[in-house]
Amino acid sequence: MSVSASTLRGGPPPSHPPTPEDILATANALRWEIGADFHEQLMEDIYANAARIASRAVTRPTDKPRFDLERSIDRIVTHRIWGFPIMVLLFMLVFWLTIEGANYPSEFLSSVLLGTVYPWLKAVSGQIGVPWWLDGLLIDGMYLATAWVVSVMLPPMAIFFPLFTLLEDLGYLPRLAFNLDNIFKRSGAHGRQALSMMMGFGCNAAGVISTRIIDSPRERLIAIITNNFALCNGRWPTQILIASIFIGALAPAYLAGLVSALAVVGIALLGVLLTFLVSAFLSRTWLRGEVSTFSLELPPYRPPRILQTLYTSLIDRTIFVLWRAVVFAAPAGAVIWLIANVHLGGVTIAEHIIHFLDPVGVLIGLNGVILLAYVVAIPANEIVIPTVLMLTVLVLGVNNVGAGAGVMFELDSAAATKELLVAGGWTLLTAVNLMLFSLIHNPCSTTIFTIYKETGSRKWTAVAALLPLGLGFAVTFFVAQVWRLLAGA
Amino acid sequence: MYDPLLALLIGLAVLAVAAWLLWPQKGLLHRWQRARQYSARVMQEDALKHIHRAERGGYRATVQSVAGDLQITVDDAARLLAEMEQAGLISRTDGDIHLTAEGRESALHIIRAHRLWERYLADETGFAEEEWHRQAEQLEHTLLPTEADALSARLGNPTHDPHGDPIPTAEGKLVAHGGVPILALEEGMSARVVHLEDEPEVVYAQLVAEGIAPGQRVQLLEKTPQRVRFWCDGNEHVLAPALAANISVVPLLPSQAPEPPQPGESLADLKIGEEGEVVRISRACRGSERRRLMDLGILPGARIRPVFSSPAGDPVAYLVRDTLIALRSEQAKMIGVRRIPVPEEQPV
Amino acid sequence: MKQELIHQPAASACASCPAHNLANLQKLGVDMANWDYVVALAGNPNTGKSTVFNAITGLRQHTGNWPGKTVGRAEGGFVYADRRYKIVDLPGTYSLLATSLDEEIARDFILFGQPDVTVVVVDATRLERNLNLALQVLEITDRVVICLNLMDEARRHGLIVDDRRLARDLGVPVVPTVARSREGLPELLQAIDDVATGRTVCKPYRLRNESPAIKHALKILIPQIEQVFPGLPNARWVALRLLDGDERIIEAVRTGELGDLTRGAEAEAEQDLVLRLEAAS
Repeated sequence: MSVSASTLRGGPPPSHPPTPEDILATANALRWEIGADFHEQLMEDIYANAARIASRAVTRPTDKPRFDLERSIDRIVTHRIWGFPIMVLLFMLVFWLTIEGANYPSEFLSSVLLGTVYPWLKAVSGQIGVPWWLDGLLIDGMYLATAWVVSVMLPPMAIFFPLFTLLEDLGYLPRLAFNLDNIFKRSGAHGRQALSMMMGFGCNAAGVISTRIIDSPRERLIAIITNNFALCNGRWPTQILIASIFIGALAPAYLAGLVSALAVVGIALLGVLLTFLVSAFLSRTWLRGEVSTFSLELPPYRPPRILQTLYTSLIDRTIFVLWRAVVFAAPAGAVIWLIANVHLGGVTIAEHIIHFLDPVGVLIGLNGVILLAYVVAIPANEIVIPTVLMLTVLVLGVNNVGAGAGVMFELDSAAATKELLVAGGWTLLTAVNLMLFSLIHNPCSTTIFTIYKETGSRKWTAVAALLPLGLGFAVTFFVAQVWRLLAGA
Repeated sequence: MYDPLLALLIGLAVLAVAAWLLWPQKGLLHRWQRARQYSARVMQEDALKHIHRAERGGYRATVQSVAGDLQITVDDAARLLAEMEQAGLISRTDGDIHLTAEGRESALHIIRAHRLWERYLADETGFAEEEWHRQAEQLEHTLLPTEADALSARLGNPTHDPHGDPIPTAEGKLVAHGGVPILALEEGMSARVVHLEDEPEVVYAQLVAEGIAPGQRVQLLEKTPQRVRFWCDGNEHVLAPALAANISVVPLLPSQAPEPPQPGESLADLKIGEEGEVVRISRACRGSERRRLMDLGILPGARIRPVFSSPAGDPVAYLVRDTLIALRSEQAKMIGVRRIPVPEEQPV
Repeated sequence: MKQELIHQPAASACASCPAHNLANLQKLGVDMANWDYVVALAGNPNTGKSTVFNAITGLRQHTGNWPGKTVGRAEGGFVYADRRYKIVDLPGTYSLLATSLDEEIARDFILFGQPDVTVVVVDATRLERNLNLALQVLEITDRVVICLNLMDEARRHGLIVDDRRLARDLGVPVVPTVARSREGLPELLQAIDDVATGRTVCKPYRLRNESPAIKHALKILIPQIEQVFPGLPNARWVALRLLDGDERIIEAVRTGELGDLTRGAEAEAEQDLVLRLEAAS
């Protein structure tokens, strides 16, 4: 290591005063001498100093406490036998509270926004003589879609997120990631993905944001791209409705509830399985080159601050996600209304598109109506079923059901819904494939936008949107062919 | 209605073709892109590197050696060299090939780009160690000198590549690593690893698998024509001399020699309740992973103690500097520790 | 404790004048139009830094429960003894060696913004690890107040933290607090005010015991830096950064930006601010 730098070794100082460039040149020459592990020596020095100062200032208790509460809790929640049951119970509790608790506010909101405000708006606009197309576009289209999304989305999120934040503030969630890390490690992912995945059961957009806790770039991208396989809040109602009217009906009446519940849970578990499979694929192929590190700090348990938690989770998560959803839902409402009301050659745009999409839809065991509904209802999965019903009525040309062209609606009774869908050509295969497609398709536009915001990359946003879509087409296609082969045999 | 069986078969065929075309790394599309990159300029640059290596290594570069290195025919090599001579990159006197000043500058730029890329791949990406060289071989041709400077700045102006090779400076200065092959040491001598030769790839992969990396302290224990036995980074290694020849070291004075070889224990060897002091973090742990450990206070001198493990036994939560940090087993294996005897429990 | 920290005030014309670098602060996007002093808030993640920030400013800044990502820089203000303070919450980092974007943001603010006071929030239960950051801040600036937070947790764990001893060792004021219950906040504000107005002059601890190779390199480099940038308050730290190949600092040396941070430039900035304030009133 002989750098020609005799001046560096206490030689005569340069005759002229040094310039900034001289400093840099000296520093550069010296860098070759001090070796490559300088940075680490520096860190070690700083820590050695810190350790000395700290040891002088801190007096530790001499007698070890007999009972260390934190360690005892840790031993229980990460216990070889008890760890997982505690986790499962806690999460069943959270989901039960969310689903049960959301029912009432959801009904209330829906009765206010759809049952009271909507007719009132229609009446006012009728009185002041708003032209029918503007009335339809604004009230039937934009208002209705927004109101629908708000009433379905807000209550579960307002319950789920604070509960989740509470567990987080308590210090339990890092332990959960710790428990599950081994499973995620096998598919090249980070234990904390368990948390973003669970958040995804509430809302995929919030799940994507929550991947910020994963500090390793590769694992974070994996968590973002696969978050969509966590069956979100907006898709549970679709799954439950279809499962109960088509699959539950196969079983004897006393088992119907159980069978349809099992079908929905099965779909959710399939989502978890896909999360692992796709994570493994990504970490071994496209994301091989991204940096991967692992660290998981287990912070001390702290008593949660209930009010603060409610405040931050409402502002940070619920309102934030809701706002993004509303921004996307309103224009989608306008589009839905337009395609059902603008006629080209005597037929609505919607029917043109449905006609065009039908062969593809049938090939993958769905139909044109469903595909169009997934295209126009991209802002929120919540409005897929209302859109499907509206379009089905439009195509069938029945007049006694629904509220008019371009107006989304839901039917009060499951039997009536089934009747309408069967009239629209639905079979058991359609129902099964819809459930599959609802799980495996592109994320809603709110989530796609969030993914773009979080990754800052068009490429990964495109992968996150198209990978599940392609997978969804492939899965439904093969299910449909095998189903038909077996049914035909 | 169509025939579902036919549709199924067509679907499977489409899937197979798509996988064949698009599969990452092995797909046709990827291969085609790679082949396209191998242009005339790339061949010239590879030839420059070869001649530069020959000049520094003290052997003769010939048309044949260029052809062999680039895996092209001798005719093509002759044509290539003629073009390069015309471009003023090389000069030839009776079969001997030399770099001109301009040629040397280009060669150093390519070497700089190559080593910077290797540094980049090592520190800022998750590619495995065996892949750095191959990737850098492609990337080196894509970098303009100004871009190389920008890359260097972004990496914190590194002086060495991850194999311990010095990176030529922007001014075109190349400082030798100054090492000797490990075989030149006497038995019992201590040294510091300064360089691992990354070609041929097979040999390099084997050294990596042994866990040897630049910066580590070694001590030669035994040297026979059949085998070389040495202690390195807490472990004893036995290699064939041909393999060991690819390790370059700088001998250390006895005063700088590390503490005598001791059974190398890693954090993974500690059981719950035992305590250790960190003595080293393996060089194989690099880039952000290494920085993260240091941020968390896991540095030589730190006391660390496994407290409890997750249900599957991995990861394990460690107490270090009053903080609970979970580490995976493969991380724990990279952290060398010295066991601190647990004080006898006071009889109650 | 104060006696030990107070040294003869520097012979500078105005010991109580703000020390911040107005031009650079504006470049960093801080609007100082209505403020007399600027305070930077640094600290490790999970030390209750946001709680301290909220307690001081009375804001409800919810920096979010998602650590590891700086969404935006939080700013607030408070008035103490008729002096108007702007407080800037820096991203929570473990270190200032600029290996991540967060660290770079925090480092640049403390270095180039030259805040009048930098408050380092420190977790009293994890002193060793937190001092790692505090010592690095002390290398860059000498106008530091250590906020020894989470004292309640320390007490619960039976730890006795001797804040006076710590203040003596670090050479800067150390204020024990429990930000959650606002314990110690008046003292913290007082300490900030004392340092900002120059009533307390800090004599910060500087790292020592470096290895021979580094010592040798520093011996050559520091005099050169001091010769080119006379009055630079942290030549040793700059030298270490240059040896580490830190591009931002190399750039600052090359462009002479570092010269703005010398004591002379500070006086100019002071003058500038005084003039602006006079014009405003």
